[in-house]
Amino acid sequence: MSDFSRRLPVYLLLDVSGSMAGDPIEAVRHGVKALISELRSDPQALETAYLSVITFNSAARQVCPLTELMLFREPVLTAGGPTALGAALRLLTDCIKTEVRKSTETQKGDWKPLVFILTDGIPTDEWREAAAMLKSTKPANIIACAAGSCADTSVLKEITDSVLLMNNLSAGDLAQFFAWVSSSVKLSSKSLDAKPGAGIELPPPPQGFVIVP
Amino acid sequence: MNRIGEAILASGRKLPYVITDNPPRGGMKYTYFAPDKSYVVQFFNDPSKVDANMRRRIEAIISKYNPTIPESRGGALGTDEKRAAYFEKRFCWPTDIVVSPEFGLVSPSYPSDFFFGDGASDYLDLKGKDKKSNWFTSRNRRFLNKTELGDFRSMLQMSLLLTRSIRRLHQAGLAHSDLSNNNVLIDPRSGNCVVIDIDSLVVPGIFPPEVAGTRGYIAPEVLATMELDRNDPRRKIPGSETDLHALAVLIYEYLLLRHPLIGPKIFSTESAEKDDFLALGPKALFIEDPNDRSNRPENLDVTISDLGSDLESLFLRSFVDGLHAPELRPTAMEWERGLIKAWDMLHRCENPDCDHKWFIMHDVKNPVCPFCGTRVKSDILQLDICAQPRGKKGQWRKHSTLIAENNTPLFKWHTRTDVFPDEKADTGLEAYICSHEKAWYLINSHAEGLISPMGSPVPAGKAIRLTNGTVFRACREENGSLIKVSIIKGMK
Repeated sequence: MSDFSRRLPVYLLLDVSGSMAGDPIEAVRHGVKALISELRSDPQALETAYLSVITFNSAARQVCPLTELMLFREPVLTAGGPTALGAALRLLTDCIKTEVRKSTETQKGDWKPLVFILTDGIPTDEWREAAAMLKSTKPANIIACAAGSCADTSVLKEITDSVLLMNNLSAGDLAQFFAWVSSSVKLSSKSLDAKPGAGIELPPPPQGFVIVP
Repeated sequence: MNRIGEAILASGRKLPYVITDNPPRGGMKYTYFAPDKSYVVQFFNDPSKVDANMRRRIEAIISKYNPTIPESRGGALGTDEKRAAYFEKRFCWPTDIVVSPEFGLVSPSYPSDFFFGDGASDYLDLKGKDKKSNWFTSRNRRFLNKTELGDFRSMLQMSLLLTRSIRRLHQAGLAHSDLSNNNVLIDPRSGNCVVIDIDSLVVPGIFPPEVAGTRGYIAPEVLATMELDRNDPRRKIPGSETDLHALAVLIYEYLLLRHPLIGPKIFSTESAEKDDFLALGPKALFIEDPNDRSNRPENLDVTISDLGSDLESLFLRSFVDGLHAPELRPTAMEWERGLIKAWDMLHRCENPDCDHKWFIMHDVKNPVCPFCGTRVKSDILQLDICAQPRGKKGQWRKHSTLIAENNTPLFKWHTRTDVFPDEKADTGLEAYICSHEKAWYLINSHAEGLISPMGSPVPAGKAIRLTNGTVFRACREENGSLIKVSIIKGMK
């Protein structure tokens, strides 16, 4: 049995600011749970994907370090406070630096990480520099999702070209978002092939979601 | 929340299907199930890729190239009821084209054996999930309960069944083109497998499909030339030769539970993607390459040499000679012959706790289970089956070996040398081995023309005593075989 398999690091950056309190945070909690259970039932994802959760409100916190799916424990999520997206982006950069294995003469490196950012508001801290850094150095394939009418897609566009807009913050839409994340991870862990440097393939976004051009 | 959709078929017939929010999705298509799950309706991820060419190809696949319905009912040439019934179990062959709401396919659901049931795993909730090969051949194996894992014999049986299915495709000039762990479902408990995703078949005379392929199964030359323009003559596209690479990878995985090319060698430190591209593409190197050991894992306990010389040579031809030279890869027919020979040499491991339970007895002088290291202590009964080369009457050449035990059956392909155990073969029992009061016998069940070592006919119901050195004709006809018996004394 192959012990030379590479890991696919997956980071979830979740907004837990005050505006997410109540039903939305509950839906996110369910979403993470469903995501884990879906990924565990896909043999390729189970073998390849490692998951980490970073939350942000007044500060950013890595509530789950990069962990293999079988050992992953769902984080306790509580909402409240402002939207420190900048801090989350800086923390993400640090985590990628320390957690993602690089290819060396003696070590098989990890796949390029996959990052999903979910936010429903406008950042309340300094975020531009961290965003620009991520966009220029591309340490990961980042997909950002603006949830609801208050989110600012132009902010997310400064982090990545792949931005989705979810029209409202309903439980149904959030559930769909996490189901889509799971399909994306499954598809990526299957088609991790080939063309070095080519963009990743993602499934079409769920109904009601818009790809921000 | 689920809605019911209605698929209108090319024939005008209407079929309902359940629309779900996040349908299972592969590289090409996504799938909805029938309300009673008896069939599936599949649509393409990218409907813009559906063109006249694809329609023509799929129409041909469903009708004149279809080995799962007899020729008399519109199936493939030369397919009779028996062969159609055989391949119906081995392929999940599409049955209809959907024309509305958009272009799609209808395929039968696969049998329940290929879905996990209750108690498949103590760690995971797998009930209802399909049995993709890599649940069993990757590290994921550790999460499954032992009852799901089968044994070496069932893995060998699946290798043979899969090979036969691929041989059937190639015989008709077809190629699967996307053979992978995802497109072959296996049930190691019963030793059955089924080939799915038939719609990307390469059909003679029709422009081939654009297939992305699956990591680990794409032939090295396809991966290496993927970036070239589709019309560039150097660009290699999937076909029967690339199927033969994927087939060899799958057989290797089934028998040895590891991937033949993924080893410790680092090909590039630039990025994981680059390293992987080289490791599976232009620089691919067999982990058991006898001449270059740089990709060999440290502790390879069981290797291809433990599988007997027939399979060893097939693997070397696939992964050494033919890895970068597609024309040198063994054909599916050659694999089928090699696997049959290996099957006849299966022997039960005497260690009741051996996970693999069976191994290939390729060296009776050193009879050790390669998986658990247990030495065989009892006597070994070996029947060398010999054939008369055409035009050389009276000369006998060894054709294959049957390692037998009590109740081992002999079929037509043992008693005759002009019968090959394929899907058409007569599977009626000819004779069987019986061990009685420390002596071995061959009991005739239905064999016609069985002759005793002394030259007298042995009718059904009568037996031949087998001792070391016994030689007899299993069938008196010209194509009947000659059997030489050896008994290798054990330590008991």
